[in-house]
Amino acid sequence: MTQPHRLFITLTLLALIAVGAVIYQQYLTQGGQVLRVATTTSLYATGLLDALGEAFRKSHPGAVVQFIAVGTGEALRRAEMGDADLVLVHAPALEAEYIAKGVLGEGVIFAYNYFMIVGPSEDPAHIAGKDPVAAVREIYRAGELGYAFFVSRGDESGTHVREMTLWRLAGLEPDGKSWYLETGSGMAETLRVANERRAYTLTDVGTWLKLEKELKELQPLVAEGDILLNIYSAYIVNQNKNNELARLFMEFITSEEGQEIIREFLPMFRPIGQDTIEELRQRWELLKEV
Amino acid sequence: MTFDEVVAIIVRSLMISGSATALASVWSIPTAMKLVMSDSRASRVLIDVSNALTSMPTVILGLILYLVLSRSGPLGSLGILYTPIAITIGQSLLITPYIISLTVSLLFEKRREVWETALSLGATRWQAAATAVKEGAAQLITVMLIAFNRAIGELGVALMLGGNIKGFTRVMTTAIALEVSRGDFSLALTMGGALLTLTMLIAITTRLVSKIL
Repeated sequence: MTQPHRLFITLTLLALIAVGAVIYQQYLTQGGQVLRVATTTSLYATGLLDALGEAFRKSHPGAVVQFIAVGTGEALRRAEMGDADLVLVHAPALEAEYIAKGVLGEGVIFAYNYFMIVGPSEDPAHIAGKDPVAAVREIYRAGELGYAFFVSRGDESGTHVREMTLWRLAGLEPDGKSWYLETGSGMAETLRVANERRAYTLTDVGTWLKLEKELKELQPLVAEGDILLNIYSAYIVNQNKNNELARLFMEFITSEEGQEIIREFLPMFRPIGQDTIEELRQRWELLKEV
Repeated sequence: MTFDEVVAIIVRSLMISGSATALASVWSIPTAMKLVMSDSRASRVLIDVSNALTSMPTVILGLILYLVLSRSGPLGSLGILYTPIAITIGQSLLITPYIISLTVSLLFEKRREVWETALSLGATRWQAAATAVKEGAAQLITVMLIAFNRAIGELGVALMLGGNIKGFTRVMTTAIALEVSRGDFSLALTMGGALLTLTMLIAITTRLVSKIL
């Protein structure tokens, strides 16, 4: 007759060995200090962060930097929950909100680039070369007439926040319109949707340059305007678990070595220079308000 | 992504989902036995609940566990969020209703032919249930295989609890999602092919093994 306890003991032993192996491997990998960085997807998807992380590890042996790539909104939310030591984000208005809440501490600007409006080559809304706010007005008009579509991230990412700013500055509310499509996904997916639907969308220049070749239906139409400046900042989370390492990493990405790595990613990302940093700070203050 | 990295991701996926399956079996199979044995109204309701829970969206389970394991959550002091063990726990909870439901239906089937014979030969109820489980060992391995495949193929829990950290919690599904978002479709498809090949190989191996049993 089968003894039931023998079955349970076998199963339990098996599980213990398996779980033990996972914990052991975790222990092996996790030696040293761990820094958790919640970051925006555009920085990660372009490969910039892996490059920065590797260089940092070389100069700081024993340090483990873990990147968790989510949108700016989710990164800040996770920081508020206490699950990140450092955040890398690009939405001044949201950043200001979380600074006011006391979630974010000290911060620096470490890179910048531009947003741009891309759309179908034949440009049915005639926005090419226009001012960004005028361009979204034209898209709205063409959308209402049934000539154009606009694809939105719809995920509270830095890009989405900026897009909402553009609509607000234009005094328009596209939400719920049949020509306004919200993907709720990352920049690459959203660009692909725009490409398939031959629609307009707002993108950061980094992701655009990475995918440009396969987005045959789209081309950049509006790339000029102060409102399209995209500023990437790093903040130490007040409620962090590794203040020293967070500070070291923040110092590293603004150091000469870190900026040199960012320079290698030109024109996807631009390093900050002595001459530009003051202006970027002022522009950040302005973007925070709009 | 280098070849070594891909191999490491595959091994990591196997370890995490394999241990999740083993762990879930420890509590799920005895629970299923108990449910079939008692055969009361309460146990029938529990079986219905378990059946319903198989539809749990992985992201919802991931989110619930994220809130529990977060530093500001009730179990935050354990500090296991964004570690492989967090994914193991999440996946084991995810597949628990699968193992219970499938084992229950397997046992009901075996009940008449094996169980009642065992009882008539003077076995206790647990001994009879254990005999039924043993007689159904081949099918039970299939149950665990389905649960394992569910675990290794899911994305929501691994992404929410693991965070897709390179070289640490990146598993096959989160790696595929990342490559899609990076625009590298060919690498994503290759990884998807590797995942399917792997589960197929495991399915064939277990079928051969359970034939011997």
